[in-house]
Amino acid sequence: MTDYWIGVDTGGTFTDLVLVDRDANHRVSFKLPTTPDDPALGILSGVRSLLDLAEADGVDVSFLGHGTTLGTNAILTGRTAPTGMITTQGFRDILELGRQRRPSFYDIEVAKPTPPATRDHIIEVAERLDECGGVVMPLDEDGVRDAARQLQADGVTAVAICFMHAYANPDHEVRAAAIVREVWPDAFVCASSDILREFREFERFATTTVNASLLPVMDEYLRRFEAGLAELGVSVPPLVMQSNGGAVSPATVRAAPVNTFFSGPAGGVIATVALGKSLAMENLVSFDMGGTSTDVCLVKDGAPAKRNVRDMAGFPVRIPTLDLHTIGAGGGSIAWADPGGLLKVGPHSAGATPGPALYGLGGEDATVTDANVVLGRLSGGALIGGTMTVYPEKSYEAVARLGEKIELDPIATAAGIIEIVNVNMMGAVRAVSIEKGEDPRHYALAAFGGAGPLHAAGVAAEMGMDTVVIPTRPGILSALGLLDADVRGDFSITRLVALTLENTAALRDGAVDLMARGAAWRVAERLNEDSVEISWTADLRYIGQAFELMAPILTLSGTPDFDEATLAALRAEFHRQHASINGYAMEGHAVEMVNLRLSVAAIRPSAGGVEILGDGADVEETIRPVWFPETGFVETPVRDRASLTPGQRIAGPMIVEQMDTTLVIPPAATAIVQPSGDLTLHLGGTQT
Amino acid sequence: MTDAPDPITPDLITTEVVSRHVLAAAAEMGIVLMRTAFSPNIKERNDCSTAVFNARGDVVAQAEHIAIHLGSMIGAIENITARFEPAEIGLGDMFVANDPYNGGGSHLPDLNVVAPVFHDGRIVAYVANIAHHADVGGMVPGSEAAVCETIFQEGLRLPPVRLVRDGAVNRDVLDIILLNSRTPDERRGDLNAQIAANHVGVRSMQQLIERYGLDVFERALDAYLDFSARRMEAAVAALPEGVFKAEDFISSANENAEARLSCTLTIAGGRMSFDFTGTDPQLNEARNIPHQALLATVYTVAKALLDPDAPANGGAFRVIDITAPPGCIVQPTSPAPVGARSLSCGVLSDVVLAALSQALPDKGMARCGPHGLLLLSGVDPRNGKYFVNYETVSGGLGALPNRDGLDAVRTITSGSANLPVEALEHDFPVRVERYALRDGSGGEGRHRGGRGVLRDYRILGESMTVSLTGERQRVAARGVAGGGDGALGEFVINPGKPDEKTLGAAVKEAPLPKGSVLRVGTPGGAGWGKPSDRDPTLVDKDIREER
Repeated sequence: MTDYWIGVDTGGTFTDLVLVDRDANHRVSFKLPTTPDDPALGILSGVRSLLDLAEADGVDVSFLGHGTTLGTNAILTGRTAPTGMITTQGFRDILELGRQRRPSFYDIEVAKPTPPATRDHIIEVAERLDECGGVVMPLDEDGVRDAARQLQADGVTAVAICFMHAYANPDHEVRAAAIVREVWPDAFVCASSDILREFREFERFATTTVNASLLPVMDEYLRRFEAGLAELGVSVPPLVMQSNGGAVSPATVRAAPVNTFFSGPAGGVIATVALGKSLAMENLVSFDMGGTSTDVCLVKDGAPAKRNVRDMAGFPVRIPTLDLHTIGAGGGSIAWADPGGLLKVGPHSAGATPGPALYGLGGEDATVTDANVVLGRLSGGALIGGTMTVYPEKSYEAVARLGEKIELDPIATAAGIIEIVNVNMMGAVRAVSIEKGEDPRHYALAAFGGAGPLHAAGVAAEMGMDTVVIPTRPGILSALGLLDADVRGDFSITRLVALTLENTAALRDGAVDLMARGAAWRVAERLNEDSVEISWTADLRYIGQAFELMAPILTLSGTPDFDEATLAALRAEFHRQHASINGYAMEGHAVEMVNLRLSVAAIRPSAGGVEILGDGADVEETIRPVWFPETGFVETPVRDRASLTPGQRIAGPMIVEQMDTTLVIPPAATAIVQPSGDLTLHLGGTQT
Repeated sequence: MTDAPDPITPDLITTEVVSRHVLAAAAEMGIVLMRTAFSPNIKERNDCSTAVFNARGDVVAQAEHIAIHLGSMIGAIENITARFEPAEIGLGDMFVANDPYNGGGSHLPDLNVVAPVFHDGRIVAYVANIAHHADVGGMVPGSEAAVCETIFQEGLRLPPVRLVRDGAVNRDVLDIILLNSRTPDERRGDLNAQIAANHVGVRSMQQLIERYGLDVFERALDAYLDFSARRMEAAVAALPEGVFKAEDFISSANENAEARLSCTLTIAGGRMSFDFTGTDPQLNEARNIPHQALLATVYTVAKALLDPDAPANGGAFRVIDITAPPGCIVQPTSPAPVGARSLSCGVLSDVVLAALSQALPDKGMARCGPHGLLLLSGVDPRNGKYFVNYETVSGGLGALPNRDGLDAVRTITSGSANLPVEALEHDFPVRVERYALRDGSGGEGRHRGGRGVLRDYRILGESMTVSLTGERQRVAARGVAGGGDGALGEFVINPGKPDEKTLGAAVKEAPLPKGSVLRVGTPGGAGWGKPSDRDPTLVDKDIREER
């Protein structure tokens, strides 16, 4: 029986699709421009082409995972749904008050962001809980009814219900949501205690309102997408990658679209985990460098780092995400001279049009790509397998013009651009490693995306990292990651209590509550009980602190019982982490729990699949001068990736070209072609 | 020597690389400090700053937290080097200081902890961090209130003394600090966090020096300061020459005589000179602005108006001269009290901005409403512990020539966050019944002033007290070009009740009976342009959104 798995990565510019024929252990891929106005359209057309290419039938597709930037783009372009909010009396301005910070520290010209729900669509109702969830003032149910009718009449389509201290007791919010649905059945409604059961009202209200504003948008997209797939004969529900690196059903995404903000880049991280597994490497930094931005994430002991807050268009969104660090620099970033005469790179990008000067489409500014051409690192011949004509002399002119402003010759200017963009990249690597207490020298850099393999060796050298891994197809790695995604749900509850025996009951109640939510989710995702793995973590801090560290809770039974042994182990783990990350521990100081977290995941087998790049024996090696910081220009062999054979050792310097990217192997480095076709690069001499 | 390029002069690329490392180190120190601090004022409100200095004590990089702290950073090192010979300072030492007259500080609650960075037995850089401690003793819980009449009433004064010696905490000094605070446990935790932050900074600098070598490191920092200087020089060179004056008033104990702040800006020969002659004599109230805070205010406003992206370092401010007669409000002499200087700086920044914006047509900002300061103290009935809650509630900013002023944010010299209501109610025995934009508080105009804030606290503990400091409770933020004034700020007990009582702008330990309500209403920013010129769609929006 044939069995196909499909992964779809929707990027800002291109959509990449990959199909694996599970029985033949064979894979095919396809690329087409993203259709931002109706993303479902492009993906569906891509799926159709992919099925044609593989001569496959839609009914034989048993898995389809996809990453989407729909939520992110809706927020960034302001195409969210008109949204209302029902909140506690006295608190309608929480979203505008924010944290009383100016949006820019020094620049007085920067205005505050507009909240997802504006004041005319925020209605207060009488109700109040205290910090322990006790009722100070009962819920005014008629008030909620009136508010719902008013919002409906105002023309909003989504409603966020945000009450003070609802994380401690969701009863009022649950009741209010039920009333809204009762008087207005087709409203899109969500409550803060469903989306984020944690304290700090601004962050919780902001996250919930942002979520509400996406509910109708995501619903519409999924409806079209599911209908289109059905037409292609695909009957499995299309899973959606979440920011936490797990895929979920459309039903779950419809309730919490806010969890898809990093759906796009998450695929690359998951692929990095799989890549590491296949190469027996557990500690990697994923380095996904594209045209306008670069995403970096730490993978430690085979698991990607996580975090819990993100800024979206000026509002903090507290959701579990991979700890992806994104910087606005890539191959298209523009280099410029600041008023003091310092050379800068980015954050402005030449984008696809006009693009780098190299493209000859009217771009006058020197970009990172142009600098790479001037230094011989990128081919001055054709790009993308010979399909695109380029103009290297324009690159040279653009770099020379910039050089005049800062009194440097074109070569020194180009070298400077590369070094500065590498330093920017280094800042991102540093943010996910050193700033989290991890030494990057114990990690390998996994480089992908169109520009990753060009810069990986330079960035790794800056960080003192010895090993770089470059997968077979750097351009479609993120799509491959979607095939390897687990189905994952994260749940949390605030439990502000000391880690002592007297609080065992409160902690256990919290765990039981989470278990019930996890079980309900598992049923909704149609997962067998025995196919899921559950894990518990605790956000801990010294009593009196405000920032937490996450410690795993080890438990033999399903639900932790918080006996003395469990508590002692948690305390010890917290002291250890605090010492490791912050440089000291206060062993005598009491430790408290802030949030208890449950993660439920159904682990899927690896998709496998081999893509033949060609035997390449007939591809000739050429030679061109390439500039390296340690040698200046040196005659360097240039080979096609397809000509490399497993087991081969390559001594630098060498340039390796393939359709979707170019690899730079510096002079002192050695590359080894793995049996899988992946390349491991050892820089040598940089380890300290 | 003059012809051949110096072989180890770093090029501009190395300069950028090294300076980015230094900025990252300052940011990383800030993260450790906030992540490990204990008092809500630091951990939730981020009232703290971090910086890296070169061996001469010039600020090379300051993380973006609180602009006013820049001044104390500038003063920190010079006060250490003035007191100690290099041979007296050892590897593993850290100094703590807070005194505005002897330690480079700008008020006593800001404890500045400084660590030298050694290489081959000599000091090659410093790292430092400032954290605002919720109580350092003195006559008022919270150690910051306008009612103090001398600095001796404001708390423990520290010249630079060793908090850490040879890598170990100096208990002699720590115990003095702890004994003088009403909340010693918090102080211990916060000081631990400050020491940890400096360790991170020192380690980071040492790695950087190892990597590039000391010569390149030092020269790169010099070159970075020079580049920053050139940026600001270029901005100043573009200004028209001339003399520009501005003034405003801060509160004083004498209700009939508000205190004048006066500024004369002379732009000539590519330099900016700010002269504060004409400012009233120093006050017997803690609204004086010590030298370091004056520097920080002028520098911050200049940077914001001329080049917001310029680095906040010593180089950027070489083109600025500041003079003020000793003994005036902005150049007080010991023992003038200075605790509440942050509010006065809110007005001072308006004055500096008003002077400078005369040289910049179409730029500038109408005057602003500074924050209100409240210090709640008492015993929490839930755990029997004595507490001090230091909190500031933001006002609104003035309108700009092209848009409305920002609602509910701190003025430009500050940047601390609010205390979330849900965090407040966990930590202190109060219940906030209303936290809202203060409608009507922004000055009318073609572009409206930013609104201040209303925050109503229901008191849940027995025998609690509050000390309060406000600004712009008698002299409003004045409108520009026909724009209206911002509303005055106010502190009220039991608003709307028969026993409603308005308190003044300087209140010491007013009793708050259980069940009473304290209202903090902060002043709004001023408007810009005539209200009749307001865009009708904005007027409609104001009506629709009940503004």
